[in-house]
Amino acid sequence: MSRQSEGRVILETRNITKQFPRVLANKDISIKLYENEILSLLGENGAGKSTLMNVLYGLYTPTSGSIRLNDQEVQFHSPKDAIEKGLGMVHQHFMLIDPLTVTENIILGAEPGKGLTIDYRQARKEVVELSEKYGLHIDPDAPIETLSVGIQQRVEILKALYRHARILILDEPTAVLTPQEVEELFQVIDGLRKGGVSIIIITHKLEEVKDISDRVYILRRGEMVGERITADTTTAQLANLMVGRDVVLTVEKKEKKAGDTAVFQIEDLIVLNTKKFPAINGLSLQVKPGEIVGIAGVDGNGQSELAEAIMGLLPVESGKITHRGEDIAALNTKQRINRNISYVPSDRQRFGLVLPMTIGENIMIGYHDRYPNSKGLQLNYTYINAHAQELSESYDIRTPDVQNPAGKLSGGNQQKVILAREFSRDPAFLLVSQPTRGLDVGAIEYIHSQILAMRDNNVAILLISLELEEIFSLSDRILVLYEGKIVKEFKPEETSDKQVGFYMTGGKE
Amino acid sequence: MEPKKLKPVFLTAIVMLAVLGVTLYMGSSFSGLLYILLSAVLYFAYRWLMDGKQVVISLIRRGIQKMVVPVIGICIAIITGAVVMIISNYDPVAAYKALFYGAFVRNWHISVLNAAPLMFTGLSVALAFHAGLFNIGAEGQYYIGAMAATYLGLYVNLPPFLSLALIFILASLLASAWNIVPAILKVRTGAHEVITTMMLAHVARYLSPIFIRANGGDPSNSTHAYVTDELPMNNWLPRFNSFIPDANYRLHVGILIAIVVALLVYYLLYYTKIGFEIRAVGENKDAARAQGISIGRNIMIALLIAGFLAGLAGVNQVVGLDHKLYQNLAANYGWNGISVALLAGSHPIGVIFTSLLWGAMDAGGQYMSRVTQTSSSIVEIIKGIMLFLVVAKYLYIYIGNRLKRVRRRRQAAAKEAV
Repeated sequence: MSRQSEGRVILETRNITKQFPRVLANKDISIKLYENEILSLLGENGAGKSTLMNVLYGLYTPTSGSIRLNDQEVQFHSPKDAIEKGLGMVHQHFMLIDPLTVTENIILGAEPGKGLTIDYRQARKEVVELSEKYGLHIDPDAPIETLSVGIQQRVEILKALYRHARILILDEPTAVLTPQEVEELFQVIDGLRKGGVSIIIITHKLEEVKDISDRVYILRRGEMVGERITADTTTAQLANLMVGRDVVLTVEKKEKKAGDTAVFQIEDLIVLNTKKFPAINGLSLQVKPGEIVGIAGVDGNGQSELAEAIMGLLPVESGKITHRGEDIAALNTKQRINRNISYVPSDRQRFGLVLPMTIGENIMIGYHDRYPNSKGLQLNYTYINAHAQELSESYDIRTPDVQNPAGKLSGGNQQKVILAREFSRDPAFLLVSQPTRGLDVGAIEYIHSQILAMRDNNVAILLISLELEEIFSLSDRILVLYEGKIVKEFKPEETSDKQVGFYMTGGKE
Repeated sequence: MEPKKLKPVFLTAIVMLAVLGVTLYMGSSFSGLLYILLSAVLYFAYRWLMDGKQVVISLIRRGIQKMVVPVIGICIAIITGAVVMIISNYDPVAAYKALFYGAFVRNWHISVLNAAPLMFTGLSVALAFHAGLFNIGAEGQYYIGAMAATYLGLYVNLPPFLSLALIFILASLLASAWNIVPAILKVRTGAHEVITTMMLAHVARYLSPIFIRANGGDPSNSTHAYVTDELPMNNWLPRFNSFIPDANYRLHVGILIAIVVALLVYYLLYYTKIGFEIRAVGENKDAARAQGISIGRNIMIALLIAGFLAGLAGVNQVVGLDHKLYQNLAANYGWNGISVALLAGSHPIGVIFTSLLWGAMDAGGQYMSRVTQTSSSIVEIIKGIMLFLVVAKYLYIYIGNRLKRVRRRRQAAAKEAV
């Protein structure tokens, strides 16, 4: 697809800055959207893409900066304002009502008719006309729940068009689609452009940018780091811009030779996600004692399913998970914990801690049924709290009292509670998922040093992280996860974050 | 002497005084209050001696903090009730005098009689809440317990104590079994327990007229129309007047059993593995599961214990108060148990107090309407407002945040002015 000749600027942001209480989500961002253009906004998770789009759509008010539409300054106080001015947005998670028909969903909130009545015949006619005009084929009378995800997305697009959108923002439009559906979506997008709609696509997939868009802006950590004409750039260059950063090695990693025989091994693992789609699709890996194996990948390529399958929280469809020579794929979570498998989950507040319970209770949970935490039916709170006190000193958990609820701690200290619990259980194999998400530098450094200390203690560690920097500073081996498979293995000293980023985003030799 | 050596002496004294005080007070002997007070003072003295002044102060402060919301709620409810009475031409002063006199002095024994079944059903609902479940069908489990107790009471003939123990345990187990189907449906299919237990509650309620007819009820006989035969005296709960001569002749010791059960539920929830797992599942299913705790098993356990507790309420009514089963479909102990549990914030010890309060409001309301001709529906209004204000704690949080924001804005404005 070629770049449109210099058109008219239809939408523009000037020096948009958005400050959240703790995070600077957008810093001084200026972008332009030309009429009839397909524009991509590329960046990792947390780069600030969605914040910028939410500012454009009236969901957030920018801290400073302005939005100009057709060369006039505008202010959107709510999505309603944005819709009135001809903007439409298709969210990653669809906002459709399942039992209602396509037509009903499309007209919802903008129903034709007089007074309290709805003119369904008119509505249906308009919907059919719209879908024909843009080549979005749908059955106007089908209930949403009977439609595939790809078709539901069309309905979302039609919803925006029905409200006379001239600018369409698509947030990660291919995240939920099969390859076949992606192909169809691209045709639809092309049709929209022919119909005079300008499009912004938010994405972190390089292939998509190359395939569909005319021009791309690259965001990294809330800042604009580049603008490219798609035809004049390569995916490698884009990957470089997207993930390239100064790797700050904050903790020192000692030379260490891993053991010979793997403690933990996965062979040809297939795991279905809740939508019965194989999120892990034939994955194999092994972890030896005294090494950290880092799994690099863009979010949504099977990370959470892998972690849950290892812990027995998600059933294994086929394949083997071997821990110390025994297949554990059929064991339940409790049996796996009893085999001394430790797990630091990525979402600490959801999977890691019971926030209203005390720090002491959060440290003993999982081992609450063994001596000395309990004897018979009765829990021994004297021991539980004394033990928690001991661990809170050795793991630097800053709290006045271990009988305070875990929810009162800061994020870093909450994570230390989980580390204290899991690391003190003397595991042979340790699964760590996104251990430093959302933490400040000091806490990150501490947690990294603790993970390395475990490695030096001959523990086999599997590290899943979305932060390439973390993968690089901790891992002894890097495995790249893409669409549920390990696509490449690297030694960190023999590769670069750019090279890893290339494979992470689906690049092939 | 060393304080450590005094420990058993202190503890024995505290417990004995508390037991004596509670027993006397529940038996309408108001000297019991004195012993309860003495026990409390002794407890604080003991903590002071053992852990120091600071611990006692923080203990009292925490207690006061917990009391603030309920006390404010009750006060506002009473004021609102007064406003309603003024509007509807009643004399609020006279009415409230009668209400409180009736509830806590004159008819205290009725308050206690009302409170006993509420305490059991309240505990049932509260325990289920801790597992994140809403046992809205406590009413049904109550009826199963009552029917089973009547049946066993009519036909079991063992030595007095054995017989009663058997009735209590067996009948409550049956009530507990009434929750097996909702529990299995919840675990296997995710069917919501609000729907399933409520449906079964209706089944149980309307089984009772059939049961009554099968066990002595005879519609053709006006004195025996909708009531079963009477249980033999052997199977009656002991009454307070057997050891406190002044106690009302109807007042039975069910309330003491209820208080002991409340303490047991407290122990179960906060000091045992079972309770810990139930609370973990209730507070955060995902984290509990990730630590190997079975969600299904704990839902099962919680619903079965909840059924058992609600069943106790039914047994208590039959062997304690009525000694037969009436077709009294308006008693609503199950539904009111929900209010009592909510008011107590699901805390088992709190349930002791809220069920006594609820029982007292009902007893006082009857007395008030008899003496001052004030409509007893006023009491229902006050109860409703109380519940609303205590449960709607988010309202307080919201108001608190608003006040904070206003204060901050004022401070900012003041700073700018400087």
